[in-house]
Amino acid sequence: MGSTQAQHEKEKNMTLFKQIAIMLTLFLLLILGTVLVLNFNSANESAQERLYEDAKNTAGSLSLSLGSANGDIAMMSTMINANFDSGTYSYISLVDVDDKILYERVAESELIDTPKWFLNLVDISAPLASANVSAGWNQVGILNVQSDVTYAYTQLYTILKQLLLSFSVIAIMALISLYLVLSAILKPLKKVQHQAEAVGRNKFIIQEKIPYTKEFKDVVVGMNKMVAKVQAMFDKGNEELKRHKEREYIDADTGLKNRKYLIDKLPEYLKVDASSKGGVNIMIAFSGVIEANEKIGHKDVDTLFQNIADIFKTYSKNYENSIVSRMNGTEFSILLPDCSDEDGLSIAHNIYESSSKSIEHAGLDKEQTFISLGLYEYNYTQNIGQLLSLSDNALTQAKFSDSNIHLDKSESATEVMGKDAWRKIINSALEKSSFKFVSWTAVDAKKKRVAHNALSLTLKTGDGTEYFYGQFMAPANQAGLSSKIYQNVMHMMFTHPDKKLKSSTCSIRLSFEYLNMSETYDELSELFREHARELPFKLIIEMPDKLVRSNSKGVKLYKKLFETYNIETGVYEFIGESADYQYLRNLRPVYIKGESSYFLTQSDQSLSALRLITDTVGISLIATGVMDLETLHKLQERDIHTIQGRATEMITLL
Amino acid sequence: MNILKLFLLLALSVNITFAKPYVEEKLLNKITQKYKVFAKKRFFYLQKSLDSVKQGSELEKLEAVNNFYNGVSYASDMKVYRKKDYWATPWEFLGKDRGDCEDYVISKYFALIYLGIDSKKLFFTYVRSTKFKSAHMVLTYFETPRSEPLILDNNNRKIFPASQRKDLTPIYNFNGESLYKASKRGSGKKVKSKKAHKKWDQLKLNMKRKKI
Repeated sequence: MGSTQAQHEKEKNMTLFKQIAIMLTLFLLLILGTVLVLNFNSANESAQERLYEDAKNTAGSLSLSLGSANGDIAMMSTMINANFDSGTYSYISLVDVDDKILYERVAESELIDTPKWFLNLVDISAPLASANVSAGWNQVGILNVQSDVTYAYTQLYTILKQLLLSFSVIAIMALISLYLVLSAILKPLKKVQHQAEAVGRNKFIIQEKIPYTKEFKDVVVGMNKMVAKVQAMFDKGNEELKRHKEREYIDADTGLKNRKYLIDKLPEYLKVDASSKGGVNIMIAFSGVIEANEKIGHKDVDTLFQNIADIFKTYSKNYENSIVSRMNGTEFSILLPDCSDEDGLSIAHNIYESSSKSIEHAGLDKEQTFISLGLYEYNYTQNIGQLLSLSDNALTQAKFSDSNIHLDKSESATEVMGKDAWRKIINSALEKSSFKFVSWTAVDAKKKRVAHNALSLTLKTGDGTEYFYGQFMAPANQAGLSSKIYQNVMHMMFTHPDKKLKSSTCSIRLSFEYLNMSETYDELSELFREHARELPFKLIIEMPDKLVRSNSKGVKLYKKLFETYNIETGVYEFIGESADYQYLRNLRPVYIKGESSYFLTQSDQSLSALRLITDTVGISLIATGVMDLETLHKLQERDIHTIQGRATEMITLL
Repeated sequence: MNILKLFLLLALSVNITFAKPYVEEKLLNKITQKYKVFAKKRFFYLQKSLDSVKQGSELEKLEAVNNFYNGVSYASDMKVYRKKDYWATPWEFLGKDRGDCEDYVISKYFALIYLGIDSKKLFFTYVRSTKFKSAHMVLTYFETPRSEPLILDNNNRKIFPASQRKDLTPIYNFNGESLYKASKRGSGKKVKSKKAHKKWDQLKLNMKRKKI
């Protein structure tokens, strides 16, 4: 957003290279031009000189010949005619001793081979050559001869063309040399400029090679020091955040995740465009812990807990994105996305059996110390509260069950339409490209301004029915069509951009699955190459934290691709669960979006560590799902002012 | 009326007494420095000769100048200047006290100009000496453009009308000043002759630079 202005400024300000290049080019052209003019003038002068010499020679020789005519005018006229008719002269006259013209010939030149502009531009005057004419001892008079300038004009025009050609070649060669020399001289400056620009883009580069020139050297050393300090600040924030994360998300006794982690993480699983439509959440409660403590002591009970935690991990590891967390002292939760109730039950039984063995192995009575497993088959439409309370219900049932295992199923969301009907509608929409963008605003509540427009989608069928993103994205996910929708809408965005959004800043959220598809990168490259420059608005592409925190080669490629086309990057679904936040420095997104609940439940230390990291690299924090002003005020107390959600409608914008 | 005559006489005498010398003092000092004291004496006698005929007739002026310069020894340009052909300035000629036919002509020409003879009357004439069977140059004086010229020669020391100089065959008359004045007339722009004659132009330049 700010970078657009910076870009504009950059384009407006002329670089030192350009200034020197222009100055030297002008200087060079001035010198070449002057030399050209001087050369041409010299050629002109020598042409005139030659015209004079020719005329002089003729005047000399003709005057001697005329002397032999002994003053016979007829004879002298004939001699003059013979010379004049050769066409080399424009004027010949014989003037007697009384200054009276005895004979005169004047020719009008026809300058056919020379362009008119050249004749107007160049003035060639052939000097008059004179010689005394005598007959014996007596004077006859003076013979005046002037050469014809036609040939001189033709010759000078040819010279001018040759001069222009050779000077053009010299100028081109000189300019190329100038460019190369300047580039070599200003190379260190270019590096300094890159470094400074990188700082402007919150990218910190340490320049290893210190320039030789003192001024450049001082600047580079100074910048290196500054960059090193910023890096140190980032590293400090990173370390601090990692430390807090461990404390906040990890259960120290078992090494499992804790309740807070589960709650912060669940929104990713309970959303319309979640990659998993549902699964099984197993709530596990430990009974007889007090007795166990009394019998084998705290230390051994802790060991038992660790062993059982390992069992949980073992049985959940086959499920991608599963979460094993310790909810409190005696309760655990295993979230298994895409797990069927049968598989859930089978896992529950296996866990129960393995745990019972561990309990026995610890020297405890499995009748007194045991675990209960409440399985709840959830789906993405539920909220966190529902999931947890219904899982708790299942656990309560399990505690009273003989097998200590109980399964509850969620009431399936009443589907208005069947899967096939949805598939048909989505496929038809893909064919006809009948998706449309709708935009929601992300608002800076402090400045009371729109930060950017977050683009979402609607689908309009042939009969005029309009479905919202939340309605069609889940069935699209289930039908495996979500990536195709993204392909379709990205193409639509670039080929038929919404003119209403002109000059604004818009964000679009791309899913993990779509970005992870092997062909996506090439498709986007092609799309950007052909259309990105015509996009009338500033685009921010949002990528999920789950993808970007991997800091993979793919993410770096995307970043580079986006940068090439001046597209910014944003991160969504951020809960700061990474083991390292270096990826934020590499990615340098313009903002990080996280659920409002995430920001509100963070400890002050965690949030300030996050702030240290994000402020260092110029990332702003945006809270999503802010539904009311109360939440907004709480967020503002935590210095988070940019929000998305229903509360944006309650802010009076400036 | 008498007062006016007296005034004119006074003015004339002042003019004679303080007239500009043929060779200015500054230049004469330089000539003396270069060609020693005898050269200075020669220039002194030249000035004396010129002064003696300043008020005389043109013929007297011709006689005086011709006689004075014919007293200078003849030497080829190769001997004096180590050049095949060189037109010396009057200062070089009298300074070295040697020169060839062109040098006599040049010096006589400028001395006569100094004495007030119209340059139109004086010509450098290329002649062939039948006696010596060689190319030669003399100064010719035309009282009017159509009158018979008088020949000022360094070989034959006396001035004779051209008709009496059977030993000379005229080839070409040359007057640098008249060539300078020549111009194209008639229709169109007026074009003046920039140069006259290479040797003459060089000589004029040397004169301007006070070459000694």
